[in-house]
Amino acid sequence: MADTVVKIENLVKRYKDLIALDHLSLEIKEGEVFGLLGPNGSGKTTTINCLLSLLAFDKGSIEIFGKEMTPTSYDIKREIGIIMQNVAVFEELTVYDNIDYFCGLYITDKAERKKCVEEAIKFVGLEDFTKFYPKKLSGGLLRRLNIACGIAHKPKLIILDEPTVAVDPQSRNKILEGIQELNRNGATVIYTSHYMEEVEQICTRIAIMDKGHKVAEGTKEELKKMIKNTETISVEIAEPSEEITKEISELPHVYKTEYAEDRLTVWCSGGKHNLIRVLGVLQKHDLHIGRVYSELPTLNDVFLEITGKALRDKED
Amino acid sequence: MFLHDLKYELISSLRTKQVIIWLLIYPMILGTLFKVAFSGIYEKENLFSSVPAVVVGCSEGSPLRSVLDGMKNSDKPLLDVKYADREEAEKLLNDGDTEGIIDASGEALTLTVAGEGMNETILKAFCDQYNSNAKVITESASDPAKLGAVTEQLMKDANVVEHKQLVEGNMDFFVEYFYNLVAMIALFGSMIGITAAMDNQANLSALGARKCCSPRPKMLSLLAALTARFILMAVCMVITISYFSFILKIDYGERLGLVYLAGTVGGMLGVSLGFAVGSIGFGNYGIKNSILTAVSLLLCFCSGLMDGNMKIRIQENVPVLNKLNPAAVIADSMHCLNVFNDTKMYTEKLITMLVMTAVLVMFGFIITRRRKYASL
Repeated sequence: MADTVVKIENLVKRYKDLIALDHLSLEIKEGEVFGLLGPNGSGKTTTINCLLSLLAFDKGSIEIFGKEMTPTSYDIKREIGIIMQNVAVFEELTVYDNIDYFCGLYITDKAERKKCVEEAIKFVGLEDFTKFYPKKLSGGLLRRLNIACGIAHKPKLIILDEPTVAVDPQSRNKILEGIQELNRNGATVIYTSHYMEEVEQICTRIAIMDKGHKVAEGTKEELKKMIKNTETISVEIAEPSEEITKEISELPHVYKTEYAEDRLTVWCSGGKHNLIRVLGVLQKHDLHIGRVYSELPTLNDVFLEITGKALRDKED
Repeated sequence: MFLHDLKYELISSLRTKQVIIWLLIYPMILGTLFKVAFSGIYEKENLFSSVPAVVVGCSEGSPLRSVLDGMKNSDKPLLDVKYADREEAEKLLNDGDTEGIIDASGEALTLTVAGEGMNETILKAFCDQYNSNAKVITESASDPAKLGAVTEQLMKDANVVEHKQLVEGNMDFFVEYFYNLVAMIALFGSMIGITAAMDNQANLSALGARKCCSPRPKMLSLLAALTARFILMAVCMVITISYFSFILKIDYGERLGLVYLAGTVGGMLGVSLGFAVGSIGFGNYGIKNSILTAVSLLLCFCSGLMDGNMKIRIQENVPVLNKLNPAAVIADSMHCLNVFNDTKMYTEKLITMLVMTAVLVMFGFIITRRRKYASL
């Protein structure tokens, strides 16, 4: 069985009357890509800041690599790579110098550091930009520099706090592929995001957070099994009569129907051939059918069913 | 470890545009403007020039003529004399071309002036002194052998306005502005001191958060950041003082090395002020920088940057303010080099600056040493 890398028990963090973390417990095993998923303000970054001993907390305990984490746990910090939500680099240093500076906080041997810096530059694909200053880099390249500064020293535990915010799709894919490669190379990864697609794509285990609580935890398959919904069928159609809607609702495994914006949505729980049965009813009544979709449940459905609200705000 | 941090702190500080603009270019421009604007006014208002006077009734070979001709040959003659008859002299006086008429036709010199002022006083002093000495000469007439010695004494006394160098420095009032300008630049060092603190605190910058996550002890990072800024500030001060001294030809006196030292320690004091304010856990860089710039200018105003008499007025009313005002202390340290031959007062000012620096740095360290933050 894999060793526990991070153990958080009953963590409580209050900001006056607001409870930012409410008895949060997490256990992250070696080799995992652990996702912390939740909407803005759910407590993901607060968890990371407490984990890194930046933020004081009211109650609970945090252990990393089996040792209590404190601000002076330099031996533990040496094994951690952190990529913050905000880009944290020197504006006046070149790409190379920035990575060398941050790598130098962990590795004192010059030759070893040089090798690490060059590998990090290659890893994030900034070979052509080593002499550039950060302000000359695009948003995506800047994020890649931010990542290189965090991983150049080859940490065993990498924490990425929303690293893809405001990043173009190409850079986002590059970043996500990079994280998976780091994991394949042996690093344990903690990844926070409110983009469920990213978390689904790269995380081996996920904790869903809301208002400082952990509302669910498991692999994505386990999480999806927690909810009733197994298939969502959508059909573009003129508004069906009450009789047709009733007939569809009474089909096996269908537990909810809704008509909105020229689209009939049917939620099913378990069973096979649900789509064929729904289309059969509509054809029987000789209705003109437009586009048809059949979707498997997403983490958003999980979040929606557990908390009663969507994971992401519409503007996200 | 320390040298690695120091190297990059130095590089990043050196490449900060703000440093080049506010700590090098701006002082040079301001210094040049000071030189152009104030030196003309100063020379006009403060430097001595000969007093124009018309002498009437003075024959060739008379004792007065000998005295006046003798004065003419000195570097800075007391009087700028013309000889004329009474009518022409009165015309010159009425036209404002002369300050007074010295009438030598009588037994004693008489003076006619058109108004009151320094020049008229000088003319009156000259006439009084001449009459007094003439009386001595007349009384000595019984012994003509003494006449030459008496005349020599008279000429010596006539050159009453003569600069006498007491110390190795420059006592010109005009240089005071440049002491205050150096003090202002030193206090502007606060703008780089702010980042030394803010870039190492997780609650004040993303950079600080990243550094706090590293295995580098915070005190070491802070020390490197502060040392880099001290070095940078020292370089800026040396360049600026050199520019004032060698390009603008501002006379800081003979002890320029001590002026450099005072400027450098003053710069450290400015950086420390920024470090202390930067370490306070609220407000972004812009706010802190604006406050510090305003405070620096206020302190410089109190030390006499904009009004040369301000420091004197404060000394008369609230003397303790001059002792606590960093700008006044920095300017005074250079000023006293030009007033006192020994360095006792200079050393006192230097120690005051070092104590202030130590207090501010300690304050910054105490605030910044916080292990965890209540909020980020």
